[in-house]
Amino acid sequence: MSSQRPAQGEQPPRSTDVSRRRFLELLGAAGFTGAVATAITGPLIKAKIAEASRGGGDNSHRWVMVIDLSKCIGCQYCVYACQAVNDVADEMRWNVYLLDKTETGQPFNMTRPCMHCQEPPCADVCPVGATFQRGDGLVVMDYDRCIGCRYCMVACPYDVRRFNWVDRRTEGELNHYQPQYGEPEVQRRPRGVVEKCTFCIQRIDRGLEHGLAPGVDRQATPACVNICPVSARVFGDLNDPESAVTKIIESTPTFRLREELGTEPNVYYIPAEGMVPK
Amino acid sequence: MSTIAAAPQPAARGELPPRRAFRIWMGFLAVLLAIGAVSGVIVLVRGLGVTGLTDRVPWGLWIALDLSSISLGAGAFILSAIVYLLRVERFRAFARVAVLVGFLGYSSAMLALFLDIGRPDRFWHPVVFWNVHSVLWEVTMCVVLYFTVLAAEMVPVVAESRFVTRRWPGAPKVGHFIHRFTPVLAVIGLALSLLHQSSLGATYGVVAARPLWYKPSLPVMFILSAAGGGIAATLLGTLIVSYLRGKYVINSKVIRQVAIFAGAAMALYLYIKIWDWATTTYYSSIPARAEGLALLINTTPYGTTFWIIEVLLGGLVPTVIFFSRKLRENDWMLMLACLLTIAGVVLLRWNVTISGLVVPQDWSPGVAFLFPRISYTPTLPEIGAFLGIVAYALAGFTLAVRYLPIFTAGTDGH
Repeated sequence: MSSQRPAQGEQPPRSTDVSRRRFLELLGAAGFTGAVATAITGPLIKAKIAEASRGGGDNSHRWVMVIDLSKCIGCQYCVYACQAVNDVADEMRWNVYLLDKTETGQPFNMTRPCMHCQEPPCADVCPVGATFQRGDGLVVMDYDRCIGCRYCMVACPYDVRRFNWVDRRTEGELNHYQPQYGEPEVQRRPRGVVEKCTFCIQRIDRGLEHGLAPGVDRQATPACVNICPVSARVFGDLNDPESAVTKIIESTPTFRLREELGTEPNVYYIPAEGMVPK
Repeated sequence: MSTIAAAPQPAARGELPPRRAFRIWMGFLAVLLAIGAVSGVIVLVRGLGVTGLTDRVPWGLWIALDLSSISLGAGAFILSAIVYLLRVERFRAFARVAVLVGFLGYSSAMLALFLDIGRPDRFWHPVVFWNVHSVLWEVTMCVVLYFTVLAAEMVPVVAESRFVTRRWPGAPKVGHFIHRFTPVLAVIGLALSLLHQSSLGATYGVVAARPLWYKPSLPVMFILSAAGGGIAATLLGTLIVSYLRGKYVINSKVIRQVAIFAGAAMALYLYIKIWDWATTTYYSSIPARAEGLALLINTTPYGTTFWIIEVLLGGLVPTVIFFSRKLRENDWMLMLACLLTIAGVVLLRWNVTISGLVVPQDWSPGVAFLFPRISYTPTLPEIGAFLGIVAYALAGFTLAVRYLPIFTAGTDGH
């Protein structure tokens, strides 16, 4: 080593020049390698990006839910219907109920599914693209791709994501909300993956195949909307000017949760009485 | 003191620490490794349900561990950048020990992540299924590629070891061949490290949902503290080996010079940290951030640990020691500074991870903060696996320093 290196203090300017040239050579080599690598992998990256933004749903629709807090009586049937149809455990409820209070102390019933954001933070952060947004705006998951890193749970502003901490398939846990006859609509998710509300895509997609209108025909409508005894939940296509949700949003003051984050939720709330939405 | 052992020492296999102390130390690590192995098996068989993690606090001890071990492995990229790019030849003596610490740090992180993901059988998915919008994808790819670089840089070291040369006399030639690419590997490693060391901070910094995290200073603080912590970890290992062998394994003067680099990194880190604190809390107040911080300070030791350990003991004190000529000439003070730096760097990662998660998110449209603070306590299998992984890194360092030509400055012909 010392034989190749000029002694310290001997011709210092020259040794500096050499190291700088060497440095530039290395930079050049790195740049060249980078350019070649980009040329080779460019098409691959494009294919990967195209694949990541894959997936179902027709972008002529935009599925939206309206929840009327002034109508909700807090029976929590939406919570239970969701558990029955999607085979969800008690400690992993996709729909959440909460007895909330207004600024003046007036109690009101608050329920909350997934917001199906138009700018979903959970899909942005997923390292493998297991969570993705469909053409119709629904934010859904590929349970076969999820690695269970739980970054989506950390990034979701609405606490809608649930992780399968234990294996609900082998432990034979009985879901008391689920009918014990017929075929379940949705398979139980395996241990180690995250899961979430889908707005019952199985119903929307099958319904559209059979020429039904989600939000109008009950077979094609999310379970939580169907069961609501006071019709506090309304579902439909915001791209359709004649749909119930479009008419409500046009005519009634609504708000969305944590709008300041720019997530553009697809769930709209009608305020409870005496409520000043934040 | 700096004049002792002015010349670099040759690799001295004859001067190992007393055999008995070595056996006790390795026995202790073996016990921890066994605990770690049992815990790891429990986690893999029974799933993450055995941890203290919940849907509200889905990241915990292991995430803090892998962030910390990656940051403490940063010495490799900083020191190889200084050696191979800035061509500061006298720091070359550190190149191998830094690469070793990096290799152990990154492999520890990967062990922790392997347990931490819900589906370890799908650990390869990020390499095949790309989401280029995800900062975690970028981190994963960089860590995988950089680990490959570190492994390649380890090849010459292993090839030159007595164990290998005795069986395959031609092995050092392979090592020499790879060694010729070391400068290129160093450039690639530098680029990859600059990317993911800061992106690990960005992993938190981009989460708009959590006001305590959402700020552009986190990536900067992560990379600066990693530079300080990485050099400190490398330095501490070198000093401990020097102490055990009763002589400096790297020129004592060079050790002090490297310490100044650690001091510079920590000083920059502290500067950003203080301004980050001032701008986000003292000079401004965003409702959710102020309320979240108040909740943390009132219900957790966050405030105390932030000021006492992160800023004072883990930041200010070691910076002063690194910069003060008198203090850094004292080996014990230097070791203390390295230990404190490491503690500060680790605690930053723990505090960032946990603080952002235990403060509940206020999504309710009604009265703010109906939700109480969420608690998280690691369970025994979690702690067991943590101890096992730490023991793996320590055992790896002990054995590598003993059996591989790590401290060989001036004797290898490169």
